[in-house]
Amino acid sequence: MSPSDVTDRLTGLRSDFDRSFAEPARQHDVEFAELLAIRAGGHAYALRLSQAFGVHSDRPVTPLPGPQAALLGVAGFSGAIVPVYDLAALLGHPVPEDPRWLVLAAGSPPLALAFHDLDGHVRVPTSTIVDEIDGHVGREVLRGMVLLPGGTRPIVDLPSARAVVHQLTGHITYNTEER
Amino acid sequence: MAKRTFGFKLAFGFGLTVALTLIMGAASVAALVVVVNSKDDAIRVAVDDLTNAERLTAKAESRISDYRAFILNASQEYLDLTNADREEFLDLVSQLRGTISDPTARNLLETVSTAEATHAATLQPVIERRKTIENLQNISQLNSNGQVGVARRALQNAIGALTTRLRADVEDARKDSSARATQSIGLIIILGLAAMACGGFIAWRLSRDLRREVGAAVGHIQSSSAELEAAAAQQASGGREQASAMSEITTTISELLITSRQIAESAQQVSKIAEDTADAAERGDATIDQTRASISAIRSQVDQIVQHMLALGEKSQQIGGVVDLVSELAEQTNILAINATIEASGAGEWGRRFAVVAEEIRKLADRTAGSAKEIRTLIDDVRGAVNTTVMATEIGAKSVDAGSRQFDDATSSFRKIAQLVATTNDATREIELSTKQQSTAVEQVNVAASDTARVTRETEASAVQTKQTAAHLSRLSGDLLELVGSGRR
Repeated sequence: MSPSDVTDRLTGLRSDFDRSFAEPARQHDVEFAELLAIRAGGHAYALRLSQAFGVHSDRPVTPLPGPQAALLGVAGFSGAIVPVYDLAALLGHPVPEDPRWLVLAAGSPPLALAFHDLDGHVRVPTSTIVDEIDGHVGREVLRGMVLLPGGTRPIVDLPSARAVVHQLTGHITYNTEER
Repeated sequence: MAKRTFGFKLAFGFGLTVALTLIMGAASVAALVVVVNSKDDAIRVAVDDLTNAERLTAKAESRISDYRAFILNASQEYLDLTNADREEFLDLVSQLRGTISDPTARNLLETVSTAEATHAATLQPVIERRKTIENLQNISQLNSNGQVGVARRALQNAIGALTTRLRADVEDARKDSSARATQSIGLIIILGLAAMACGGFIAWRLSRDLRREVGAAVGHIQSSSAELEAAAAQQASGGREQASAMSEITTTISELLITSRQIAESAQQVSKIAEDTADAAERGDATIDQTRASISAIRSQVDQIVQHMLALGEKSQQIGGVVDLVSELAEQTNILAINATIEASGAGEWGRRFAVVAEEIRKLADRTAGSAKEIRTLIDDVRGAVNTTVMATEIGAKSVDAGSRQFDDATSSFRKIAQLVATTNDATREIELSTKQQSTAVEQVNVAASDTARVTRETEASAVQTKQTAAHLSRLSGDLLELVGSGRR
């Protein structure tokens, strides 16, 4: 990388930054969807930021004894104790590495899903999202797909994940109103 | 005789022939002697005995005559003659006794002697009576009674018988000597025939052996002459080839002489170059010292480079730590921006405006993280380059050390080379001297080769001469074979 390239990039950054103040206030409406591009167990996924309550990294997780392999333990968030489940295990392809990232699902009961890598925060038009109402057998957690740079990713539906966790923990019925 | 030499055979044959001739001559001489002796005997008998016998007759007649004369005149003279005649008669008888060998003749001689004694005894009284008678008138006065006449006839008969016998002996001796002469002639003829036969046999044997042995020898000589001719021809061709080879050798030696002179000149040049090299080697010693100082300086510079590079690596590591810190800050900023977006989505219109700010913050955080990642990559590249440089520099340092050692080796080698150059200089001078001596030797060899070529040509001429001589000898052998008549060519 030559010094002139760095200078060009610096100039571009500065102009973008200045332009962000000059542009009119952007509408944050339904035509756009906020997505997180993640990786769990080596597979690329996306999840809706509107279904999340927060993203955290390197949070200490206290393991709990139990029969559930997907249950990593519990972690504390803003004075509340939240169970942490491995998203890769829920999706059916667990890996031995400990996931570094946690996403706190919106709604109750509180639930945190752990994944391995955060590829980034993207804002895409809703027209690029292929939605679906129900899941399929073996992929109850996933709802729809989105076309992102680097390829099409399945979208992880956090309420469905909560329902799957409920089903794993013995709750027959689950609330779908929180979707 | 078959294994004797032909000369021996020839000498033996001629010796045998000469011996036979001598024997024949001796036999002839002996036969002649025998014949001569027998003839001498016959002549002696004829001459001595028969003559004496005839003389006996004459003496007897002479005495009778003298006696009759005495009777007639009683002269003493006639009486003495009568006695003398008787003495001579008795002497002749004595001679005949010594010479007559025939017993019959000897008996007849004794008869003659007896008859003479009887006659003398008969005559003696008559003589004495006559002495007493002075005048003889009649013969009867003597009173001889006719006895004297009987005795005289007896004596004459005896002498006649002796003469007849001796004449027969002469004839016998003549016949005997003739028979001996005939025997001698036969013996000589036989010996002559034997000598002729022996000479013919010897001549036949000599001729046969001459044909066989001399013919075989001459045949050998002929074949040997042919071989000698072939060998001489081969020698002549070999001599020609040798002469041409010697000519080539002479040419080559001349070229060798030129080459050795060139070598001598080259050796002189090499000697000069070696002296120049020795001078250059002396100058090179100073250069070696300067180079060694330069190598030491390079070694210290390399050490400093290694130290600077290691310091650069440490600084890069520190920069990496700072970049990690920046990355962490960017990541946390990103998380805060995401969470701010989440929070803003539930805060109505103000929340949406805040969400825009949060997105800008997140973008900045993304760019910061990307830049930090690039810096990390660059720092990793720098550290890799530093490590590579340090390793390369250490390798360079080791190479400098190795180069220094090799330079030491090269220095010692250089000094050894300088010594060797000096040695080479001496050796080159020796080569120059040796090459000059070699040139002289080559010139001598050239002269010797020229002499050898001349001798080879002479040898070739001699071989041609030998070939002609061998051919001549072969022809002579053929002629000799024809002469000895072996019939082989």
